[in-house]
Amino acid sequence: MPKIKVPKKSPSLDMTPMVDLAFLLVTFFMLTTKFRPDEPVIVDQPSSISEIPLPEKGVILLTVDGKGRVFFNVEGQQTRMDILDRLASRFSLMFDEKEKKRFSVLSSVGMPSNMLKEYLGADEAKRRTMNDATPGIPSDSTNNELTFWINAARTVAPRHSIAIKGDQDADIPTIKRVISTLQDNKANRFALITNLEGASDAAAAPAKK
Amino acid sequence: MSEVQQSDGGQEKGKHKKIRAKKSSTHIDMTPMVDLAFLLLTFFILTTTFSKPKTMDITMPVKDKVEDDQRTKVKASQTVSILLTENDRIIWYIGMDDPAQPPQTNIADFSQSGPQSIRTMLLDKNKIVLEKVKMVEDSVKRGLIPDKEDEIKRHKAAVKGDKAGVIVLIKPDEKSKYKNLVDILDEMLICNVGRYAIVDLSESERELIKNTK
Repeated sequence: MPKIKVPKKSPSLDMTPMVDLAFLLVTFFMLTTKFRPDEPVIVDQPSSISEIPLPEKGVILLTVDGKGRVFFNVEGQQTRMDILDRLASRFSLMFDEKEKKRFSVLSSVGMPSNMLKEYLGADEAKRRTMNDATPGIPSDSTNNELTFWINAARTVAPRHSIAIKGDQDADIPTIKRVISTLQDNKANRFALITNLEGASDAAAAPAKK
Repeated sequence: MSEVQQSDGGQEKGKHKKIRAKKSSTHIDMTPMVDLAFLLLTFFILTTTFSKPKTMDITMPVKDKVEDDQRTKVKASQTVSILLTENDRIIWYIGMDDPAQPPQTNIADFSQSGPQSIRTMLLDKNKIVLEKVKMVEDSVKRGLIPDKEDEIKRHKAAVKGDKAGVIVLIKPDEKSKYKNLVDILDEMLICNVGRYAIVDLSESERELIKNTK
């Protein structure tokens, strides 16, 4: 009796569509990913039901961390350089080209004016330790440097919107000081950055229908 | 060279035949490339976060001194003062903050419902506005108001600014946290309170917090 022969199938199958799709996805993710610059502070924002997104461009960001330290950030290299120029004349500091360049590519900065020059001259590891130790931009009424920062930023970029990114545990006096400094600079409209409340929370909130 | 010729000779039997270019397969092994592609794909998928930060808009009053006769007068019975203090506690009272006649204070918390929920209180106090907001939503459904986002927003803003609605004064003290402030602002959104302000505490209100345990 002849055995029934199972036809030998080639074990390789056409993977072209799969590979095509894989590359499509790779391209998509590569193009949409924006790498977050190294932030000096980690902030755990409170959540809210508000769904207004933060504008992608043109934001002056004031970060207040859990210890009540204030950091300043704005995007755009030229804007940053102009702000630094203004601050330099205000604090009577001198920055060389290298330090200006460095400042223009950094993210949030939270240094008192007397440490700013050293900070910009330092290498990355040193900057990191300085960021851990910094008291933030002083915002007390006796020595309010934050107002100069905001003033400089408002003059350089008057159309930028202002956002405060506060940590859940940031203390109210600091927040109030930041807000009142903003008011002093005639910036009466600003945004608080929050996370979107979790889906479970939103479902449990029957109030808003 | 000699080896090649030898092998050529071995393959071709006749001298008449043309020398043909070797037919090499058009297939290349693409496995490494595909491996790499998937590696990159996994990397980008895992590192991408799509959640964009959300914001809450706040408008503070201009700091310039306002003359007493230019101030907006509001009914004391319409104002609710919400004092925020440590350990997520809320103390609220209605009416004036009069040192001689301390107002009746109430304790509340940030729960979403229940007898002490600040939300229940606000929803109750803000009934008039809530009903009007509902009316706006109804008219959107019935097509009286065009179903456009900015159009709805405009109507709701008008309704929220209603004179009959509650006015909330938010007064966080030094021991409260930023989270409490954002939470209470969130409640304003949820309860459709259009008129609220962040205000400093007065001395007598500090006493109130101390005395309300």
